[in-house]
Amino acid sequence: MGIRDVYRQQFRTTFASFVQYRASIFIWTIERILEPLIYLVVWSAVAKATGGSVGGFSVSQFAAYFIVMMLVTQVTYTWVMYEYEYKIRHGSLSFALLRPIHPVHTDLVDNISSKLITLPLMLLAATVLVLVFKPTFSPPLWAAALFVPALLLAFSVKFVVEWTLALSAFWTTRVSAVNQGYFVAALFLSGQMAPLSLLPHSLQVAASLLPFRWMISFPVELLLGRLNARQALIGLAAQGAWLALGLLLLRTVWRAGVRVYSAVGA
Amino acid sequence: MRLLRLLWVFFRVGAMGELAYRANFFLQLLESAVDLGTALGGVVVVFSYTATLGGWRPEEVAALVGVFFLVGGAIRLVVQPSMEQLIESVRDGTLDFTLTKPEDSQILVSIQRVEIWKLTDFALGIAVIAVALLRLGTRLGIWQVAGFAAALLAGGIIVYSFWVILASLSFWFVRVENILVIFQSIYEAGRWPVDLYPPWLKIGLTFLVPVAFATTVPAQALTGRLTWQHLVGAFALAAFLFAAARLLWRVGTRRYSGASA
Amino acid sequence: MEPSPSIQVKQLRKSFFVTERESGVGSALASLFRRRREEVVAVGGISFTLNPGEVVGFLGPNGAGKTTTLKMLSGLLQPTGGEVSVLGHVPWKREKAFLRQITLVMGQRNQLVWDIPAADSFELNRAIYRIPMADYKSAVQELTELLELGPLLRKPVRNLSLGERMKCELAAALLHRPRVVFLDEPTIGLDVTMQRRVRAFIAQYNQRFGATVLLTSHYMADVEALCRRVVVIHHGKLLFDGELAALRGQFTAHKTIVVKLEDGEADGALGRLGSYGEVISREEGSVTLRVPREDTPRVTGRILADLPVIDLTVEDPPIEEVIERVFAGGGS
Repeated sequence: MGIRDVYRQQFRTTFASFVQYRASIFIWTIERILEPLIYLVVWSAVAKATGGSVGGFSVSQFAAYFIVMMLVTQVTYTWVMYEYEYKIRHGSLSFALLRPIHPVHTDLVDNISSKLITLPLMLLAATVLVLVFKPTFSPPLWAAALFVPALLLAFSVKFVVEWTLALSAFWTTRVSAVNQGYFVAALFLSGQMAPLSLLPHSLQVAASLLPFRWMISFPVELLLGRLNARQALIGLAAQGAWLALGLLLLRTVWRAGVRVYSAVGA
Repeated sequence: MRLLRLLWVFFRVGAMGELAYRANFFLQLLESAVDLGTALGGVVVVFSYTATLGGWRPEEVAALVGVFFLVGGAIRLVVQPSMEQLIESVRDGTLDFTLTKPEDSQILVSIQRVEIWKLTDFALGIAVIAVALLRLGTRLGIWQVAGFAAALLAGGIIVYSFWVILASLSFWFVRVENILVIFQSIYEAGRWPVDLYPPWLKIGLTFLVPVAFATTVPAQALTGRLTWQHLVGAFALAAFLFAAARLLWRVGTRRYSGASA
Repeated sequence: MEPSPSIQVKQLRKSFFVTERESGVGSALASLFRRRREEVVAVGGISFTLNPGEVVGFLGPNGAGKTTTLKMLSGLLQPTGGEVSVLGHVPWKREKAFLRQITLVMGQRNQLVWDIPAADSFELNRAIYRIPMADYKSAVQELTELLELGPLLRKPVRNLSLGERMKCELAAALLHRPRVVFLDEPTIGLDVTMQRRVRAFIAQYNQRFGATVLLTSHYMADVEALCRRVVVIHHGKLLFDGELAALRGQFTAHKTIVVKLEDGEADGALGRLGSYGEVISREEGSVTLRVPREDTPRVTGRILADLPVIDLTVEDPPIEEVIERVFAGGGS
């Protein structure tokens, strides 16, 4: 049989249940569109109030930033932390542990298949927003070419980091506190609330030292042509480093977690 | 009045259960504080680049954030948990119990669950409003306070009715588990003055998902921006939505009882 | 003067529409555009009458229509056809005066609030049913006594065992002294001891307060223990309505004879026993025969005369068997 069959089956299952829950997905997608939209509007208002541009962003450049941000956030989105909080609370993590396959695989496939299904809707939304807000950006060709690998790396880093954090559910029942702390930090430090260059310097440093910038902001900055070649290469290296670190942490934390879980008992 | 008596009983019973869990209080306080910090942090960052936003001064936007938390807290105190429970009970059949009780079922389902610790949001919201108004140096006249209270009342009825409408849709769309999330995610737009948004979004936030009436309008009352026409409009919308919610509830429960077959 | 019936049902009907879909990705997509609906007749025209104070069991396998019937009687479902009247009211109109006199208890579904002690849930019901304080206090006392609730009332409901929860559920449901009590599969999921306790309580309650009790179950034991009268429902049709004893008589033409033979004799006697009647089981030293009812005295005499019998018992067939025959006969 093998991993490929597992992936294929999981995709089918996810797809079937998604067709059933299409309204729920629609609602979730609205949320994903609305968040960047709100900040787009707010920052456009700021730009308009201060003579047309803020920190190197004009109104149409803000539009570009947030529309690209919307798509990048969507592609890199993970809900694994919420899921594991739920699973541990309802004792269904045991099912995942009983299977002869590492749960990270099913989670990964579930994640990717969900996004493939919602991608058309997001692209439609992006098109509408482009028509309404008329963004401008002109990336150099090499930057546009590097965008996809950077995006894939960003997704990998985010998935691995959040999957590892999700395992905190093994040690504490107050996972929601962990989740909240993480998502608050992410809101500021991954560039979702405002372009990182607009944040106070200390926050920018924090964003670069932590994986947040490399999870979401970096591909966006790249595609908007706001980075020179050197910065781009450093960024890719940082993504690679965080991915390696993340995978290492994932394995270690997983092993420790399973030990704790089986000691306490399902 | 009967409704108040019932509300008090449910509140008392719901609160009593939770009061034993002091840890939950502190966790909720922490969560609310972090939430509030994030909201105000965003305001700080935005206003580091400009003195006004759409004509609103930073303290006024802060007051808006306070209203956002106050109204949000009130919703999460009783409306949200009760409506969530309603949707669950439609799915697992425990709504049957409510329907065999000799009380108006809409009242019963609206007050059935109370998350007492959400009062922290409510309290923090009031605190933020107070501090913001102090820093503005506004003197709150009797009319402003009355206008604020009236705007909150109208906003409250509007938001409640909207939640009932959303929850009642689960009689038809049983599989939409996160239907209530519609309001919760769109409510986030209420952190900023609705005037900022492009006209089409403004209309959506006023009439489609009435977030504007929950946060911006009461904040307008506080900052002296509310006109009496707006207030009258708010009450008109409140009456309309309340009637619509009532109608949808009755049609929904009849459908649940297999009446349309 | 005859008391007017508590419950009257005439030609009651209920149909549902159900959407169907096959498995697979293709069908999943197809269902986005076209739905297939089928009519399912849950209850197909049943009639019966219950008098005040009766305890009646509705017996039937899963999906027979008994819960649907109960829901129509309690006002939760609107019938598709026929007439129904409970305590002089039309249930689905859900008049407050009606609702104050009935109660519903469902097995494995709770109306008690999960995180708080049962006593607090009682308070809620007191407010909802507007029970005067004095009546409430005496009801709580009586029910605590009858159900042995003492220490349970102060514990949060989620900390109670399944059986303890059921007892508290029953108490909460009866605080307002309803005249009609609807019980939907009340013993499902309970262990044998608790099942017996619940049945005993219901019987006691009925004797003490004269409430009309309608109970649905697929457990024969519930009905045997509680109800003199049983209504058998299958495929939405009423197959039998009468006394439990009569159920046996009507649907079985047989009796069983259990014969205990002297050591070692059983094997040899097997062939001979087979000629008296149908051998349905054989254990250490005893054989069970099924014999036509009319033949029982004659066969018994023959066995006693011909074989070295230590013990002989004549029994009615187990009621489960009876019910299976009722279903088999009345089904399809």
